[in-house]
Amino acid sequence: MSANNSLSRRNFVRASLLSVVGAAGAAATGEAAGSGRAPALQAGDGHEGMPGPVGEVDHTRNGFNPTDILTDFNWGDRISVLENGQTLREYDVFAGDKTIEVMPGIEFAAWTYNGRVPGPTFRAEEGDRVRIHFINGSSHPHTMHFHGIHTYEMDGVPGAGPGLIEPGESFTYEFDAEPFGLHLYHCHAFPLARHVAKGLYGAFIIDPPGGRPPVDREYIMVMNGIDVDYDDVNDFYAVNTIPFHFALHPIQFHVGETVRVYLVNILEFDLINSFHLHANFFQYYPTGTSLTPIEYTDTIIQGQAQRGILEFKYKYPGLYMFHAHVTEFAELGWTGHFEVLP
Amino acid sequence: MTEQTGMPPEKPRASALRMALLLILPVIVLAGVIVLFVQTGGGLTLRPPAPVEDLTVLGTRLERGHIAIDVRNSGPETLTVSQIVINDAVWPFEIEPSPMIPRLGRATIHLDYGWSQGEAYAIRIFTSNAIAFDAVIPVAFVTPKPRAATFLNFTLIGLYVGVIPIFLGLFWFPALRQLGRRWFTFLMAVTAGLLVFLGIDTFTEALEKAASAPSPFQGVGIVGIGAVATFLLLDAIGQRQTQTGRGDEDRRMQVALLIAVGIGLHNLGEGLAIGAAYGVGEIALGAFLVVGFIIQNITEGLGIIAPVLRDRPSVGRLALMGAIGGGPAILGAWIGGFIPSLTLAVLFFAIGTGAIFEVVYEIAKLIQRDTAKEPMPIVIFSGVLVGMLMLWVTGLLIK
Repeated sequence: MSANNSLSRRNFVRASLLSVVGAAGAAATGEAAGSGRAPALQAGDGHEGMPGPVGEVDHTRNGFNPTDILTDFNWGDRISVLENGQTLREYDVFAGDKTIEVMPGIEFAAWTYNGRVPGPTFRAEEGDRVRIHFINGSSHPHTMHFHGIHTYEMDGVPGAGPGLIEPGESFTYEFDAEPFGLHLYHCHAFPLARHVAKGLYGAFIIDPPGGRPPVDREYIMVMNGIDVDYDDVNDFYAVNTIPFHFALHPIQFHVGETVRVYLVNILEFDLINSFHLHANFFQYYPTGTSLTPIEYTDTIIQGQAQRGILEFKYKYPGLYMFHAHVTEFAELGWTGHFEVLP
Repeated sequence: MTEQTGMPPEKPRASALRMALLLILPVIVLAGVIVLFVQTGGGLTLRPPAPVEDLTVLGTRLERGHIAIDVRNSGPETLTVSQIVINDAVWPFEIEPSPMIPRLGRATIHLDYGWSQGEAYAIRIFTSNAIAFDAVIPVAFVTPKPRAATFLNFTLIGLYVGVIPIFLGLFWFPALRQLGRRWFTFLMAVTAGLLVFLGIDTFTEALEKAASAPSPFQGVGIVGIGAVATFLLLDAIGQRQTQTGRGDEDRRMQVALLIAVGIGLHNLGEGLAIGAAYGVGEIALGAFLVVGFIIQNITEGLGIIAPVLRDRPSVGRLALMGAIGGGPAILGAWIGGFIPSLTLAVLFFAIGTGAIFEVVYEIAKLIQRDTAKEPMPIVIFSGVLVGMLMLWVTGLLIK
């Protein structure tokens, strides 16, 4: 419970979660694009009957902001070149127990990698050597299991190699980054669903040699759910953990800019998740393992741990929704806005 | 006097002072212990491993485009309402007087939500400790307001389920008084059977309501207090009247009156339940159901007249008893429909339980008097059984 979170009648969510696109163009003024400001188009005093929370979470106290996570790619805490000419990327990861305000006024006892949910987005190029220095500072045993191609010892499951990393223990996971694509990592301690649902996961991007074709914007979006009362049913849904965050704080870019979204579904308890883009279509690269898109669409579905890369650009300015077209997820938090500036 | 009671022979005044001091002493010590305990915690280091919270949903009220939820904090500590989810959608809300609800405090949550007539809604209330409490609206419709029309409707409900059937039952009086002595006893036994059935029904209803009433109010305790107090009070009144030394006829009249009171209290509960159920849309008072109530409750009228069949009560007296037996159904429907309160319902049902069983006790005494010279156990057995079966069978129509 945060003391600064007063639930007064003036403190309603004012974001227009289902705003009329037609009006958006006129309303989307060219104001300074500062993160953390409310959308240019508002639905008024919150009495239009739109879903949304009361108040806003304290990102500073949480120690992370979903907007920052969008563009926070970790290419390595230390980068060097091995004798064989291979690039070595070293990452430091610390698992911990942390209380996160997931919804305004609602605390969730999370488990985190580096104090945030999702954990850091590791990024490397295909063929790089990756070393993950993992320290378990949590009160429970955890592991790091990467999706990728690696040896049995480095699989990060109980029984393989070091197995469970006990509290206070550490281990260095090491492997070559392959194949290129959009992958993920998560804790593989049992009970698995709980260890994942409590927040131990993140995205792992391997670029093809020389990188993907350059674009104007790159965003990482990890679709997740929060089961605040531990009944194995998600109570809220989100991208980058905080429900409704991108409805309150639209993601801003300009007309004609090419946007690449790295989309990962790490939802537990629900079989599928989805992504729907308003007033536009996108190229879809499932798992990102090919540079050729398989579909030009506006809605895709991902099962648990599925992921893919989306590329699109907007033709018209406006405030456009993106959300799960599993619509009950949308109304429980998995909804946001792209604010396309002229 | 003092020697008789074994008190030491002291001066009365000094003794009274000493007595007062001795009485106060434990209270002073207790106060000291409480102060000490509150200040030091008594050395107890037990903390609840998880927050203990309990929120009772008292009711929901619907207007067009608006839902109000009345809640009471029945947990041990202050709790904070953080978010509301209605039918799988996080929804903005207002809460008055404050999202922080003290122990036993009440609050009203307001949602501007475009609900649809006849649909069902599940509302989850999340506290700051991520504990969820559910409020359910099984069938959504505009909550009736105490307008003249609804007032009249609830009056009619009470009239149909309480007053009319009992008066219909009274019309058996002229026919039944032609019957012989054995038949009188039989009818008394039938009445006892009816009342035992109603008593069990009322008692169960009281316990059922007690289970869902806010826990600090100890619903089961209220049932016990209400039932026992009513039983003993009616018994005391009855004995006092007997002591004034009146004849058997007066005595029978008095039992009939008591039966009317008992049945009246039962019907108060029945009206309360119907009114409350109607208020939240859990009951559709169709013609069939009303007919069922009339058929079942007509037997209650029979019960009222059974003790006085051999006497000559005035028509006014009979009408009065009918009103006492049936009228409270109207009152109950008003209370249940307009100010539904689980705790109040528990109390009413408890009072009804005590009253009904006291009346059974009175009837048993009457029957015992009547059959002192000529025992007729089979008549009594079959009478009680018929009474219970009558309500069970007619109950099939309304359950």
